[in-house]
Amino acid sequence: MDKPSHLSVILDLSPTQWALCAQSTNPPGISLQAFLSQLLAFFNAHIACKDENTLAVFGALPGQSVLLYSSTGEVVAKDTEPTDPNTYRPFKTLDATVMNSLAEHIASFDGVSEEAPIGLVGCLTKALCYINRVTSNSSTPSSEGEGSAASVDPRILVLSVSPDQSSTYIPIMNSIFSAQKLRVTIDVCKIYGAENVFLQQAAHLTGGAYVQVEKPDALLQYMMMSFLPPPALRQLISVPTQDRVDFRAACFCHKRIVEIGFVCSVCLSIFCQPVPVCSTCRTKFPIKTLQRLNASRPLAISASTPGTPARPPAQRNGTATPATPRPG
Amino acid sequence: MPSVTIKAPMESQDASTATAAASHSLITFLQSQSQNMLTRLYQKPSACLSLFRLLRPLERQLVMNLLWLDLSIPPSTMAAWVTREGKKPYQDALGTLARLHILPPSAAKLALNPTFKSGLRQAITGGGTSGSFGVLAENDEKHPAPEIEALDAYALERWETILYYMVSSGTGQFPAKPSAGVLFLLERSGLMASVHGGALQITSAGFQFLLHPPHVQLWELLLQYLQMAEERQMDLVEVISFLLMLSTTELGKDYSTEKLSATQKAMLEDLRDYGLIKQRTGSIGIPKATSRRFSPTRLATTLTSSSPPLPTSAGSGDGTHAQGFIVLETNYRLYAYTDNPLQIAVLNLFVTLKSRFPNLVIGAITRESVKKALANGITADQIISYLVTHAHPQMRRNKPLLPVTVQDQIRLWELEKNRMKSQEGYLYTAFASQADYEYVLNYAKQLDVVLWENASRRCFFGSLEGHANIRGFIERRQTAGNA
Amino acid sequence: MAPEGRRIGDTFADDSDSDVSIFDHDDATRAKNKGKGKAIDRRKKDKGKGKAKEQPYAWEASYTRSWDTVQEDEAGSLQGAVQDLIARGRRRRLQAPAAAIRRTIIRHLVLVLDLSSAMMDRDMRPTRFDLMLQYAREFITEWFDQNPLGQIGVVGMRGGLGERIGEMSGNPQDVLKSISERHKLEPNGEPSLQNAIEMARSSMSHLPTHSSREILVIFGSLTTCDPGNIHDTLDECVKDRIRISIVALAAEMKICRELCEKTGGQFGVAMNEGHFKDLLFELIPPPAQRAVTRANGGPAANPAADLMIMGFPMRLPDTSPPSLCVCHSQMKSEGFLCPRCLAKVCDVPTDCDICGLMIVSSPHLARSYHHLFPVKPYQAVMTLEDPSNSSKRCHGCSVAFRNTPSTMTGASGEGFSPLGRYRCPECKNDFCTDCDVFVHDVVHCCPGCGK
Repeated sequence: MDKPSHLSVILDLSPTQWALCAQSTNPPGISLQAFLSQLLAFFNAHIACKDENTLAVFGALPGQSVLLYSSTGEVVAKDTEPTDPNTYRPFKTLDATVMNSLAEHIASFDGVSEEAPIGLVGCLTKALCYINRVTSNSSTPSSEGEGSAASVDPRILVLSVSPDQSSTYIPIMNSIFSAQKLRVTIDVCKIYGAENVFLQQAAHLTGGAYVQVEKPDALLQYMMMSFLPPPALRQLISVPTQDRVDFRAACFCHKRIVEIGFVCSVCLSIFCQPVPVCSTCRTKFPIKTLQRLNASRPLAISASTPGTPARPPAQRNGTATPATPRPG
Repeated sequence: MPSVTIKAPMESQDASTATAAASHSLITFLQSQSQNMLTRLYQKPSACLSLFRLLRPLERQLVMNLLWLDLSIPPSTMAAWVTREGKKPYQDALGTLARLHILPPSAAKLALNPTFKSGLRQAITGGGTSGSFGVLAENDEKHPAPEIEALDAYALERWETILYYMVSSGTGQFPAKPSAGVLFLLERSGLMASVHGGALQITSAGFQFLLHPPHVQLWELLLQYLQMAEERQMDLVEVISFLLMLSTTELGKDYSTEKLSATQKAMLEDLRDYGLIKQRTGSIGIPKATSRRFSPTRLATTLTSSSPPLPTSAGSGDGTHAQGFIVLETNYRLYAYTDNPLQIAVLNLFVTLKSRFPNLVIGAITRESVKKALANGITADQIISYLVTHAHPQMRRNKPLLPVTVQDQIRLWELEKNRMKSQEGYLYTAFASQADYEYVLNYAKQLDVVLWENASRRCFFGSLEGHANIRGFIERRQTAGNA
Repeated sequence: MAPEGRRIGDTFADDSDSDVSIFDHDDATRAKNKGKGKAIDRRKKDKGKGKAKEQPYAWEASYTRSWDTVQEDEAGSLQGAVQDLIARGRRRRLQAPAAAIRRTIIRHLVLVLDLSSAMMDRDMRPTRFDLMLQYAREFITEWFDQNPLGQIGVVGMRGGLGERIGEMSGNPQDVLKSISERHKLEPNGEPSLQNAIEMARSSMSHLPTHSSREILVIFGSLTTCDPGNIHDTLDECVKDRIRISIVALAAEMKICRELCEKTGGQFGVAMNEGHFKDLLFELIPPPAQRAVTRANGGPAANPAADLMIMGFPMRLPDTSPPSLCVCHSQMKSEGFLCPRCLAKVCDVPTDCDICGLMIVSSPHLARSYHHLFPVKPYQAVMTLEDPSNSSKRCHGCSVAFRNTPSTMTGASGEGFSPLGRYRCPECKNDFCTDCDVFVHDVVHCCPGCGK
């Protein structure tokens, strides 16, 4: 039960979204600075819980994904200040390294490629690779999968501000399935913006918590209650999960998020409208089917428009907050 | 003679859930202390952090949930988060925290002790002026901070000296003696005792002690030290907070002694003997010009973590056997890849050693060897848990880890020893008639004191506590019969 | 069976009696070997897999010499051998086609288990029967993992009859439960291939055309006891486009091979426990579509392909107000809402009872996408042209690369990088060996380019 846990944190650092978030008043937003100071306290709390707890921080920048900090020391801060007798040294190193490498990457970022999509997939897969390495190293190298998960208790926390990118649907789903295989829990904290269908599915399928932050100034309290307890402890103290899980998918042709789609029987590609030839496996579909489906089509795809998933407000995700707990 | 020995089962690997795991021995110790003393202790952020780490997972989480709240919350709000399985551990955790005066004893409001809250907050966010995480000594060209290897070697040498002294005390060998302070501590804690005023001999508690994991051993000695400190009129808060501070220091760094109180400076000498810190001294035993700096060893820095407090056994050198060295087969043969005299000596407690190679010892677990261990007061569970803790990585693939036959057999050998149970009592015999016999026997049975009876020989055996009554009964009857 | 005894006789060949018997026995095995060898050879040609040959037959092996399979290098280290194994895995992947191949993904499978007395043979430990049950369980779990939209039914062959053990179901737990009780499946009597196949065929006759219909027979007997002409059944199966695969545990039978070849299935004879498992697990990945086209003459527009309309539902939480579900008419809080008619169903995938829409959750579909979009194999970096320009750490897990090429003697195969670097052809990032294997076998998504 009381075994060390590994936490990989994925920070969504989209400049546009953070700018929007800082200005937002309804719902109230939070600036990146204020967010980071709360985040560092959370990191320290994670390390404080157990000496052997490990941490890796990944940053998702537009078009790239970088490792900002890891307990195994892949990233080293350039100058470590002389130690301060008032601070626990590992905390100091951690905070300095995260802030340093963050500043470095943000500085090197010129804003030209700002429109590039956020490297969330890169971060997720890198986090999985990292966890794979950490878990396989800690057990005996030749032993098979079962033993390896036992020594550390890995999980991933995604702190997201960006909306869904439907182009990343397949890679994200693939990452979710590999997380399931490695028995990694994915927690999602949505700090700003509308609910994120793919990340909801990630949290649901891996048994993690999904929290939509409503009061960002209390972010630290949210994180302490929802993301600090390791999976084993969550059997005793429940964490908020989402009420409704949206199982919609993105179509392959226009990357729209659809709730009724047309599926190729051979390769299971999803299309938002009837197509004569499957774009993935080049299968030709019978004319009769096309005619039949076209007849019923207007009804079928009226539900959603590209990019912004339209949902009646009554069906919005009500996520539990620490202030209103629900017994699990 | 042993005042308080901590015998709580502390092997956490057997505990499958949080409910089963016992609190850390220091936590148990602190629960018996006064609120005043604890509040003084909580003034140091480092003490708060280290104590926090020693708590059980659920307790840690509860503390964290409450740490950032400014107002107190009604207990029902917190309880709503607890699942059905978590109810009992949750109550336990609240109880422990209340006894530590981290939470208020009354159940009306949940809020952290303000001193503890600010202390832990400061530890996590940094800042403050307490300087409780140890003041580093300035860089000194003449005396550079010792290498980590040197520190490890030092700590290991000190610690193994103590253990080896214990294990070989009865064998007629005379290994290096630990310092007088250590010997005194060992004697006080009941791990060793001097027989007929002669040399110190290991006691059965001592044998059990040897089989504990190093972490538990260390805390056992330190707790003993704390109790002694009380008697020596040392300030307990200072002693504990210094120990806790040591656990937050960094390996391979030099710390300055200037900010330490007099009590803590006095402690340095003792801790040096246990191998927790390294300090340059004039010559061993005579601290004439003690250095004004000290460096904590791995024993100290891992006090509040569960990573191995000792580097690998010094003898083997290459450090590949950090996790374990014992291979046990179903045929009771045991292969131990070690050349460390201490480990061999400990194994010798319950294994018949057959042959020895440069890096390997071969032996067998036999009825005799286990019986010998049992006679020394070691229990079967301790033997098994020692074997589990030190199993070779190759063994870890087996499920179950140890061969079931061997485990069961060790337990059976222990049961064999407990085959006979003695109880004092009286035998009632020579009853005049069968009726007489039955009459008394019935009375005794009503009292529930009959241990054995034999109707054909008209005798029965009653326990000691029933004797007065039965005797009175017989006498009354006799007088009644005579009258 | 006396394989042990024979080997012992081999070693201590001073007993003349046993000498004679050894000779006879050896002769018999050689004759048997011939039959099996043919089967293996043919299989090899079909599949291009070379590992079947060096494995011993279960009844030949006297004891397992696991230490013979790996070889130490001069320094006595096994690292070279291990790396060689990894490199071999890489080579196999490099040979696999990188393009997306069409695969049947909505599968229906009837698992036919031989429960005849031949299964009590002990040539596979502990018995053929127990081993079959154990592997069948693993097979079912893995099969559902890779074919989440598929369904499995179970039929047993016992006492000359076909016996329905488990109904066609998409829930792995149902299927596993049906074979969980060993005492209900106790082997007995003769098997009947025809009865069992007929039973399996009848349970699949109503299925839509776009799904695959497969029968997998695990066959331990050397006889089949049929009421009629099994070739008629075979023709019917070909007509219904049912694909029959057989894993035989004893030896090849003509009828078995014919069943498989005519229907486009696979046939294999298990030589030992490990090979048995390999044969079974080869049938787990969705079969490429070409086998079906070959079976029905290979027209360009595959009539089996169709465009289906599917709904992706919303999952209701456990705390929502309870309401009646349309499938069982029970009051329940949790469930899924059909996106078209908003009816509540208990479980997915299913067909909506109200509007007939096929309801699947998108993760079900997504589970099979990695078959469609495989990650391109990474190329082994042989030399570093420009050491200053290349990254020092693995792009996946950030482990540091070694600077000097390894001098391992055992690992000198193609597809093995002496530097331990493997480069993605798309994004030109370097990965370590572990990440290479992990990315291709588990994640199916390159961390560098996100594809």
